[in-house]
Amino acid sequence: MSPNRRVVIVPCSGIGKTFGTVSREAAYTVVEDLRPDTTELVALSLLVLGDEEARAAVAGHPTVTIDGCRLACATKMVQESGLPVARSFTVLDAFRKHRDLKPEGISSLNPEGQKLARVLAEEVAEAVEELGKSET
Amino acid sequence: MPILPKKKVGIVACSGEEMPEGTVSRVAALKVLEQLRPNDTVTICLPLFLAGGEGDRAFARFYPTVAIDGCEKRCAARATEMYSGKPAASIVVTDVVSGNGLGPIRGSRTLNEAGMQAADLVAQEVAHLVDGLLGRTGREAEEAAVEEATAEVSEDEEAAISLCSCGSGIPVQKVAVNGRVVTLIALPAIFEQFYQSGKRPGDGTTRELLEVTRIYNPIPPEEEAAYAQALAREYEKYCRKHAV
Repeated sequence: MSPNRRVVIVPCSGIGKTFGTVSREAAYTVVEDLRPDTTELVALSLLVLGDEEARAAVAGHPTVTIDGCRLACATKMVQESGLPVARSFTVLDAFRKHRDLKPEGISSLNPEGQKLARVLAEEVAEAVEELGKSET
Repeated sequence: MPILPKKKVGIVACSGEEMPEGTVSRVAALKVLEQLRPNDTVTICLPLFLAGGEGDRAFARFYPTVAIDGCEKRCAARATEMYSGKPAASIVVTDVVSGNGLGPIRGSRTLNEAGMQAADLVAQEVAHLVDGLLGRTGREAEEAAVEEATAEVSEDEEAAISLCSCGSGIPVQKVAVNGRVVTLIALPAIFEQFYQSGKRPGDGTTRELLEVTRIYNPIPPEEEAAYAQALAREYEKYCRKHAV
């Protein structure tokens, strides 16, 4: 995928709850490990506060949000910033599908939480792949 | 005025995932919240704050906040000011890094040693700011730090905190007004105070409730009657529930 067909990943950024940590870890796994050449991480606060550079990074590229909980702050905020969301994921949904992976810890995730982040990241990576194909 | 829970300081971190300094802000905030001043601080979740989380915005309206930003864009400080009130204090990681001559910070996901040092320094600075905001100085602050390391949260305090939807310590209550649900800040505390002072449901009490509720919540003039009706209904429920 060429740089102008990259997919933007926006995690929820929450630091108060475990699910926020899982969303961030999943996002890092996608952009650093699974799809480093085709994805880019953009911070939610920059987008919402109208940072031109962040908005330019998102404009014209499919955006995938990874929310911690059902409040879906990342998805809502990207949409309210006038930008489309191509796919949205939540840690809560991933956990519902993998009840054995109960995440714990905020500063550092327990092994189950890390595994959940990996599973979610793999789902996101697949979506990135599909979005890349649909753009070609 | 209702008695609100123990004064705490809100910590808002920029948490910018795309840069190492954002990670420093996050790690420093968590260090203050979990280790240095766990009983005196609460986190204000920046995304929820931006998305209109009433509890978090309410906290920042009542209590002092410290913004920790990764860079000069100061997203956390700007967002706090935009949606609630000017932060009582603000720290920028890049200033701390250059002020202490730390090496380049690397690793958005896992900080290098310079990044961890920066997080420690920022956390210490925030803890001092928290002490200052809570009116502690010198020995008193040192004693508080020792107490923090050993103290348990009292049952009363836990009960007050559990009233809040976001964990920030401000009690809130959802109420149906004109067919939609609104979150009213401090309402449980207002009801409790009215009830304890012997005020029972009635037109006069409803008028008073409306005035006190207005101190903490914006009530559009055209919706005053609907708010009054909702407050009267909820207060009646409250009194029935608490009647011996």
